[in-house]
Amino acid sequence: MTSVKCKRRRTLFITALFCTLVGCGPTKVVVQGHFPAPLIEPLPLTLGVWFSEDFTGHEFFDGAKASEESNWVVNTGAAQVQMWDRLLASMFEQVTVLKSPPEAGRSSPIVDAVLIPHVEELQYAIPAHTQIKVYEIWMRYRFELVTIDGQPIAEWTMSSYGKTPTAFLQSDQEAVNLAAVMALRDAGANFISRFSQTPAVREWLQNKGALTEAIAQ
Amino acid sequence: MKKYRLRTFTVCACVSLISACVTSTVDEMTFNEPTEGIGDSSVVILGRRHSSDYETEPDFVACVGDHITSYDNSIRVIDELEFLNALYPWFEPRTAPLYPDNIEQLLQQKPVADKMLALKLEYLIWLDGSTVRTEGAGSMACSFNGCFGFGTWGHDANYEATIWDFTDQAEVGQVNTSASGQSYMPAVIIPIPIIAPVQGAACDGIGDQLLEFLSSKY
Repeated sequence: MTSVKCKRRRTLFITALFCTLVGCGPTKVVVQGHFPAPLIEPLPLTLGVWFSEDFTGHEFFDGAKASEESNWVVNTGAAQVQMWDRLLASMFEQVTVLKSPPEAGRSSPIVDAVLIPHVEELQYAIPAHTQIKVYEIWMRYRFELVTIDGQPIAEWTMSSYGKTPTAFLQSDQEAVNLAAVMALRDAGANFISRFSQTPAVREWLQNKGALTEAIAQ
Repeated sequence: MKKYRLRTFTVCACVSLISACVTSTVDEMTFNEPTEGIGDSSVVILGRRHSSDYETEPDFVACVGDHITSYDNSIRVIDELEFLNALYPWFEPRTAPLYPDNIEQLLQQKPVADKMLALKLEYLIWLDGSTVRTEGAGSMACSFNGCFGFGTWGHDANYEATIWDFTDQAEVGQVNTSASGQSYMPAVIIPIPIIAPVQGAACDGIGDQLLEFLSSKY
């Protein structure tokens, strides 16, 4: 009987300890959202896309600056891949996701170019930091457009921004997730509107005969 | 039956007593109103989200749309998110047209023009503004025996609706509304919030004016 009581106490102690430790852990947000297909005429090109491990597993960590604050981990990797997959599939007539990066001597699959996106930087702000009632996320991307054998065609950077207002009964995690989804949507909008404006990309599109009147504007 | 009526009356009296007062004003300037309503065309209400320090609340945008359809269900108001998703990425904060003249350029994209035609969009209404919490005062202490104290705080709502005629690609009206109110929370064992429905008053004010513009019944 005593050993049963002891066992119960031990279980209770372990549970309490576990709960305390979990409570001290970082605030984690795995970004999840719905990304619509863009309403555009696809470019008559076949694009290869290479998502590096850094990109597919992209995670942002921010350490607490004060004792009352907690550490934050914002994981955007899966959402990035979901959004860019959807966007590029509508933007180009054919898209091939590569299993390995473009490299010298490689000739297959046959694609017009390979796009390699990188997330260079991510910053966030919550009302506790800024005293204004919006949650914000900034991201800075770098894109490489290369041939299948790794020869550079173009390289450019692009920023994106998303914010969401505070709402009744909304947790910090939900609000940061929503701001990240808005930032990803903004990244898609910025990419579509600036793609053909990037000089080296414009030249490449012209050479491929894909610079139509609508996208030239 | 009598008992039921008495109970309903008591509940209504309590609800009206525990609602704090709101002051609101509405300014309106519209022209080229549709004399016979908008027929089978549709309207979309979108929040402007360009400012860095505030954001037009999606809840407020939905509230104005609901207000219009609840009084005249013949008006088809397209849901904001549904419209933004269907027209992605052309109405995102970065890409949304800022002036009615920009619509022409947008319609040069064939898929966009086709989608607009399918939606039968006649009016695009932009809502810009927010509700902010103003000064607060008082204090409250809570323990196992309950809460004691008194708290008060204010809210200010300022919104502007700009109506674009999508077919004529022109601005056809503006409605401004501002509302303010003070909320209270006395606590003797149990805190009793007496909330001023500031955002709701702004929603009703702007919704009524838009209804007058769009509906043939008002």
